[in-house]
Amino acid sequence: MSPRFARRLGIASTGLVAAVLCAPVAITIAGAFARSEWYGRRSEGAPVQGAAALFSYVIEIWGRNLLRSAEIVAVVVPCALLLGVPAAYAFRRRPFPGSRGLEAAAVAPLAIPGIALAVSLIQTAGGLPRFALLAAGHLVYTVPLVIRTVGNALEGYDPHLEAAARTLGAGPFAILRRLVLPLLGPALVLSALLVFAVSWGEFNVSFLLATPLVQTYPAALYLTYTTNSFPVAAAATLVFLLPVVPAVAAIQGLGGEEFHRGPQA
Amino acid sequence: MRTQRRRTHRGPGSWTGLLLALPLVIFLAALVAWPLSHLVAAAAAPAGAGALRSVLAAGRYRTALVNSLVLSLAAAAAAVLLSLLPAWVLARERFVGRQLLRAAIAVPLTFSGVLVGFLMVVLLGRIGAAAELLRWATGSDALSGAAYTAAGLFLAYLYFEVPRAVLTLEAAFRRYPAELDAAARTLGAAAVERLLRVRLPLLAPALRASLALTFSASMGSFGVALILARRFTVAPLEIYTELTGFLDDAVAGALCLLLALATLATNQILARSAPR
Repeated sequence: MSPRFARRLGIASTGLVAAVLCAPVAITIAGAFARSEWYGRRSEGAPVQGAAALFSYVIEIWGRNLLRSAEIVAVVVPCALLLGVPAAYAFRRRPFPGSRGLEAAAVAPLAIPGIALAVSLIQTAGGLPRFALLAAGHLVYTVPLVIRTVGNALEGYDPHLEAAARTLGAGPFAILRRLVLPLLGPALVLSALLVFAVSWGEFNVSFLLATPLVQTYPAALYLTYTTNSFPVAAAATLVFLLPVVPAVAAIQGLGGEEFHRGPQA
Repeated sequence: MRTQRRRTHRGPGSWTGLLLALPLVIFLAALVAWPLSHLVAAAAAPAGAGALRSVLAAGRYRTALVNSLVLSLAAAAAAVLLSLLPAWVLARERFVGRQLLRAAIAVPLTFSGVLVGFLMVVLLGRIGAAAELLRWATGSDALSGAAYTAAGLFLAYLYFEVPRAVLTLEAAFRRYPAELDAAARTLGAAAVERLLRVRLPLLAPALRASLALTFSASMGSFGVALILARRFTVAPLEIYTELTGFLDDAVAGALCLLLALATLATNQILARSAPR
């Protein structure tokens, strides 16, 4: 086998893997725009009159879940950064006795099944407002990504820069504002995108913690898959995908490290 | 290197560090350590111990745990094998559309289990696309409803594991020193020898790390089974049924504890000495 042929074969098989992964998504998207008689009627029996009606129906029934997910993301992204970034800085630049163990403990929950954490949260902190509990569950699985991403970025530049700035008379806030934050910029954006992507798709923790009033969009997807017809389910899936695809593209553009550790399936 | 850095910052520096990490410490203590230790404590109490015994005794709970373990190990192994070539190509080759392929493989990472389950139904449900295609081509109904069998569950696990394995391995392959390969070739090593004595030892930690990652993702997977599992059950689904169907907190807690322990232990064994 010539090297050139092997290379082509490798690229073709990679394309095949990507195609197989994308095929059901493409069929689903097509289903949201296909003529509905092809698949039958809506669950209420009324025929679907075009894609616009279909999407407004999806928003009508799942709009509240969409709003909840947006609220959760709006809380979880800043909180994950606030918890993770200072800690990552401490681990890399101001290590203290036990800081390595703490870092390992912060990343360990990624390997704990979300449903187990959800059950234990209900049994211990079930009295908290459900929205707070949901946000907490999301934070457990997103803060580790921030710590790793920012930690990698901090390892990527010379710690002596900060010492030099200090020698030159810069105070801690000037160093933070004019040196550390600009250098960490891309890592902070990447962290925020990772947290967003994970939190937006999170189901395992959210579904058990959810109440009828506080339910995220992926929980709505479960309900739509089990109760609605295919066009409605397909349109709801497309609504889910709309913010995710650009976020993943941006994550890939920024290097995409640590992404594979993120979402639980 | 690390010890040296630590020495430099002993004293006031370590107090600053502790202060910066304090919110994280409180967060982990309140929302991870406390709840999980409660699971352990509940299992040690008389009611919990009884539940733990009933879970470990032969029956559907133990079957669900064993199913989860076997399915996750099998799917992790298959996913890593399938991902070797794509990961190598994405890491080492430069070609038009590489970023697009990479993004196409990465997008399914954000899909929750229910979405993956739904996509399997789209392909292999009673009137799934692949099932209909086979019916149209050969008249066979062999794939109709395949999504709801154990094989369908396995394929669904593969679906969400392959992207994880590809991205993990790709990162490792990018760091792989290709000049060692060339050196081995110059020294007269045959292809098989190069594979066994150069590539595999160098890449073994990355392979183990990606096995560990895909394995834990499968062990925790709940949504897929929620949509697809009919006669086949896995531990997360059993936990959900106990909680919502039978309102049995003790059994659900015991299952959670065993699932988390099995995942963490296997993960540790697989990832032993893996690069961080």
